[in-house]
Amino acid sequence: MRRYKKIPEHPYRSVLDKRKSKEASRLTLLYPAFGIGRPFRYLLEKFTLHRALIPFTLLIVISLAFDFVNPGFLSAMNLGNMFPYISELGIVAFGITFLLACGELDLSVGAVFGFCPIVLFILYNDRVMGFEPAFILVLGIAALIGLANGLLVTKIRIPSFLTTLGMMTAFQGLALYVSHGFAQTTFLTESPIKTLLVGTFKIGDFTLYAGIIWFIVLMGLMYFVLNDTKFGNWISATGGNLQAARARGIRTDRVKIILFILTAVLAAFAGVMDSIRVSSAWPTAGQGYELEVIAMAVIGGTSLFGGRGSIIGTVLGVILLRFVSNGVILAGLPGLSYRIFVGLTILIMMTIHVLMERRIRRES
Amino acid sequence: MENINKTFGKVEAVSNVSMTVNNEEILGLVGDNGAGKSTLVKILSGLFRADSGKIYFKRKSVKITSSTKAMDIGIETIHQETSLVDQLTVARNIFLGREPTKKIGFLRKLDMDYMRGESTRLLGRIGLKKVSPDSLPPALSGGEKQSIAIARAMYFKASLLVLDEPTNHLGIEESERVLEFVKEAKKEGTSSIFITHNIHHVYQIADRFVVLRNGKKVGDVRKDETTIDEISNLIIGRGIGA
Repeated sequence: MRRYKKIPEHPYRSVLDKRKSKEASRLTLLYPAFGIGRPFRYLLEKFTLHRALIPFTLLIVISLAFDFVNPGFLSAMNLGNMFPYISELGIVAFGITFLLACGELDLSVGAVFGFCPIVLFILYNDRVMGFEPAFILVLGIAALIGLANGLLVTKIRIPSFLTTLGMMTAFQGLALYVSHGFAQTTFLTESPIKTLLVGTFKIGDFTLYAGIIWFIVLMGLMYFVLNDTKFGNWISATGGNLQAARARGIRTDRVKIILFILTAVLAAFAGVMDSIRVSSAWPTAGQGYELEVIAMAVIGGTSLFGGRGSIIGTVLGVILLRFVSNGVILAGLPGLSYRIFVGLTILIMMTIHVLMERRIRRES
Repeated sequence: MENINKTFGKVEAVSNVSMTVNNEEILGLVGDNGAGKSTLVKILSGLFRADSGKIYFKRKSVKITSSTKAMDIGIETIHQETSLVDQLTVARNIFLGREPTKKIGFLRKLDMDYMRGESTRLLGRIGLKKVSPDSLPPALSGGEKQSIAIARAMYFKASLLVLDEPTNHLGIEESERVLEFVKEAKKEGTSSIFITHNIHHVYQIADRFVVLRNGKKVGDVRKDETTIDEISNLIIGRGIGA
């Protein structure tokens, strides 16, 4: 009994409370094949309450499995190598989590991720302007791309899938056009911002990039915004029931436009970070990231249909997909096959989420 | 509302409609599907702008340009099945759009303790003691959801409740609960406009009826001066006694 009282406000708590009051648990009836009993039921209830436990458990299982096959998997060096990628894609995935929670998506994040660093380093390498103003300028350009996405979706009412698909294609093309298809060098950069974005530091055997600090700070901030602020409430309401949100005076168009801008700015920020870290800005950088970050958010428990977002789930989704891609290679499987495993992970996670959602709805 | 007009392209949704709601009165706004009831309600709740006409609230001319504006002056609208957000808890739903916050350093955080406490009190007052403020709407019945939406309006001291087909999709018992609630709101000094195409639902509680047909007002009668058959005839456009 006490374990329910310990749990703070949670959307599914009432469903479980209702169930708890019944003499025979319907869950026991729902899962007869397991012979069930209390431990299984207890675990199932925990998993239902805390959706992020699903990717978390899978993460533990695959980490141990990959480390068993190749003991170098959980080494400080390998983990340190994975962190930059995790933090850069994670920052993009945070924006996508917010957008999905408000019922929209953005396929142009990968293009913005590639396009903005190209513009920045063309301006900087050609001595048109210094690094700092160019950095601010490209963040401004990203904000304008987000604004355009937001206005097209909310005012012209083009579905976000089509709007951002068009924007993605246009900016992938523009990145190739302005760079003539060539990468821009970024290692000449001299700026304190460079240290702030990609400086390295050591903790024991771990060499970490500053990106991980940005990732952690943004994670905390965005978790707070989504769960503990008015704006977070409005995001969920906008994605969950647009009409009800409007009737309560929430300016849903404004919420969406702000989130499109935020998502684009975060993608540009991560793109610049990535380009400096790898010493070159490629016009094709970020291609394919748009679907990867959506997958990361969704396997972490964020709903593709709006109303529910989970920042912790997204963090776990990002780490999980990176671990799978890295682990497959370290396990000695053909390098080109890793996408098969990433795809399988997405399918497995989505199946679990959908089954659990259906179960909850039936229970309630 | 005075001489309200609203067209969509060539379709005249509301044509020169005037109506009043008195203090502590339940007005039944009835009409068949497409009569213009919903358009009129949306104008009153700030979701649509009238092409022409005036709205007076407490004898003062007002311009209702948004839902926020409508709520600010004391008009709360309750829609049929869409008043609550399924993904937000009852407490968050009750305070949606008017969330109380507390300061933590330079940040403002939702005051969940206050929201839960007030919601528990409100749920107790409307006879839903068993419903937790942390419940999700899918765990509630249709009547419970509508009751919460009406109670929310009362909590925020609405002077006028606009109920847009609130008993649609509800069973008999659930509908009764909602009707009881509207009467309860009247006792507490809140007037209501009850929109429905089902005259039987509103007849038992309304004080007066305004009948719309094809966007025009075709009747404005007090309950004690009419019968349910007369109103039904006005709705479908049959002559009285036909």
